[in-house]
Amino acid sequence: MFLDSCRLALRRLPLTLLAATMLTTVAAALTRAETVGPVTDEIGVVKIPKGQPILIGGLLVLSGPDLGLGVDASRGAEIAFDDHKNMLVGHPLKYLPEDGGCSVEGGQTGATRIAANKQIVGVIGTSCSSEARGGAPILWNAGMPQALTSATAPALTAPDRPAGLQGIARFVYNDLNAAAAAVKYAQSKGYKSVATMHDGSLYAEQLANVFATQWKAAGGTIVAAEAISPSDTDLRPVLTRIGTAKPDLLFAPIFVGASGYLVRQAKEIPTMAKVPVLGTDAVLAPAFLDAAGDAAVGYRLTGIDSDPKLMGPKYGDLVAKYKAKFGEDPISGFHGNGYDAALAMMTAIEKVAKTDADGTTYIGRKALRDALMATKDLDGMTGKLTCDKYGDCGASYFAVFEYTSGDTSTYKIGTNPKKVYP
Amino acid sequence: MIQEWLRRSTAVDWFLLALRLLVVAVVGTGFVVGLFHPRYGREEWFSFLAFGLTIGAIYALIALGYTMVYGILRMVNFAHGDVFMFGAYTGCFTLIACNRAGLLSENPALCFVLATAACILVSGAIAVLAERIAYRPFRKGRSLAPLISTLGLSFVLEYSARGMFGAQNKAFPTIPMIDGMVSFSVFTVPRAQVVVVLAALLTMVALTLIVMRTKIGTAMRAVAEDKDAATLMGINVDRVIVFTFVLGGAMAGIAGLLYGLVFKQVSFFMGFFLGVKGFGAAVLGGIGNIPGAMLGGFMLGLVESLGPALFLEGLGVEAPYQLRDAIAYTMLVMVLIFRPRGLLGERLSSARA
Repeated sequence: MFLDSCRLALRRLPLTLLAATMLTTVAAALTRAETVGPVTDEIGVVKIPKGQPILIGGLLVLSGPDLGLGVDASRGAEIAFDDHKNMLVGHPLKYLPEDGGCSVEGGQTGATRIAANKQIVGVIGTSCSSEARGGAPILWNAGMPQALTSATAPALTAPDRPAGLQGIARFVYNDLNAAAAAVKYAQSKGYKSVATMHDGSLYAEQLANVFATQWKAAGGTIVAAEAISPSDTDLRPVLTRIGTAKPDLLFAPIFVGASGYLVRQAKEIPTMAKVPVLGTDAVLAPAFLDAAGDAAVGYRLTGIDSDPKLMGPKYGDLVAKYKAKFGEDPISGFHGNGYDAALAMMTAIEKVAKTDADGTTYIGRKALRDALMATKDLDGMTGKLTCDKYGDCGASYFAVFEYTSGDTSTYKIGTNPKKVYP
Repeated sequence: MIQEWLRRSTAVDWFLLALRLLVVAVVGTGFVVGLFHPRYGREEWFSFLAFGLTIGAIYALIALGYTMVYGILRMVNFAHGDVFMFGAYTGCFTLIACNRAGLLSENPALCFVLATAACILVSGAIAVLAERIAYRPFRKGRSLAPLISTLGLSFVLEYSARGMFGAQNKAFPTIPMIDGMVSFSVFTVPRAQVVVVLAALLTMVALTLIVMRTKIGTAMRAVAEDKDAATLMGINVDRVIVFTFVLGGAMAGIAGLLYGLVFKQVSFFMGFFLGVKGFGAAVLGGIGNIPGAMLGGFMLGLVESLGPALFLEGLGVEAPYQLRDAIAYTMLVMVLIFRPRGLLGERLSSARA
């Protein structure tokens, strides 16, 4: 009986194929060049009836060892929405965050969930570059532009980026600048030979490579370029290998989990015990102190310089509101970026939304993305933001921080870790 | 004999022979070139050996649980990795409590005994739970239902742990007694690794004694050989099955504690990866074979540690440590190409108990 049904299906195959092709073509045509109400848009139009909320999605890492990256930015975005009284062009504002898990698969899963809800206008996030690689094409295929909060890989806004990444506007620094800051710091300390280590993720691999290129151009040497996988727990063999090369510095822009193992195990290897380690603000979170304990003392990382003098008075207000709303100090360095991403998204929506006499609002998708990319002189938390034509809108000063204690309760940006450069 | 083989061989046999020769050639080249690599001195090779033995010991303990259950029940217990994870968390919490009470620095031996007892209890209890929920209801049928339900139980355990303990890594407290390095003439090894390998070996000896010398151990071996004959001999098969699960769970619990002592961090998802490796080690040694599981575990650990340095560097691969897992599983496949029944041969019951 099973064979019979197989045969039947096969016979009907050409017909089924034809029907499927027709349906997909029709469906594809439906998402192109729409005119709804007063708005015509090449990609599609979102219609929000009177009294209905405008939906803004979020794709950030909200669980796992790196949740500091996503939760911090998400909270910053929520404060931005609160500051705008949770109302936008006469509609209430609803924020729907999804967990991207800081991985390509997580980004794809979260993006698919968001894209299924056609009423979502734009997305805050992603927080990890791998999430963007997996999720951004899905979101842009559904016509939802994204305002990145901490995904810093250069490939996301490169001039030759693929069509799937065209919906990205980045409100955080580009790693080309982060690498330059790391190079400057290493030069200031007089280091000559550096070993790099990445974990195969888009972010870490690109940053390690960019750093190596810039370091070599600045006259330094790279004595080892190693890689692990993000879920690796035993880093002793690879650290032994790096130790044989006798580097002055180990540049390891990896995430919280692997960094915890790194600092603990480096101390057990005689050749690596004295070698300083430089990471990035991917580990600027109390979760790192949880993972590394006392081995975290002395670990240095590059990060956004959140010196109040540089950030301006609004930043102090943001931190105060953060503490009042969530009951703790900021858990990472990206709350300002989350705020700015949300602010830019809201500003862009206000620019392109058209409300008719009934109170129904229409938002063109391509128009929204263009408005987001055309952000100019936006007064954000992280500075005056202007986007270049490839979607890079971030502005940051960099500093190098150092952890002084392994006690999680003492975590506070500026104290533990404290700023050591410039 | 060769003429006999030539007469009876088929294309498949020739292909397999060619494959085996190719594998030997590639691995051999990598090995020989890697051995004379100027990069590593004696100390580095010894460090690799030490790491390999440590992680191998942990894989061996986990593999024992898989192999014992499979030997009797012909069923893979996918929830076993999560029993290990719960053991690690129990060890973590016990040691943190000890640390808070100040006992860890004063009387570390007592703390270890308490932690070991707690791990065995908790892991054994969860193993019994696995038997009750995921295996016993399906005894009557002939389907693959037990397999799928252990998979489901595995997810339930993982995400319960996540709900209870949080999604972040949890750190073990620093234990002064096993901190620091030990020197053997020229070589230095972290003290924690020595402790772990010794403890694991002790546990394996204890397991062998239980299985070989006690009444319940003999009953286990009897059920593993022939369930019906065992029943006729008056053995309570149900009780033996529960005991097998408990024994395997206890091994996993101790492995969890030892893992925590070496790596000092635990997370809710660690059972998944280590469970897969442990199962691989069990298959490598010959599924159902207890000494095989021990051997397979140590071999897997050593290949993971020495493999990248020994083979891949010799073959000129960039950043070889990223491919560590690939090496471990490739070796598993290669051993099975040469010896499909595992290193020491399978030992399965004639029918599922």
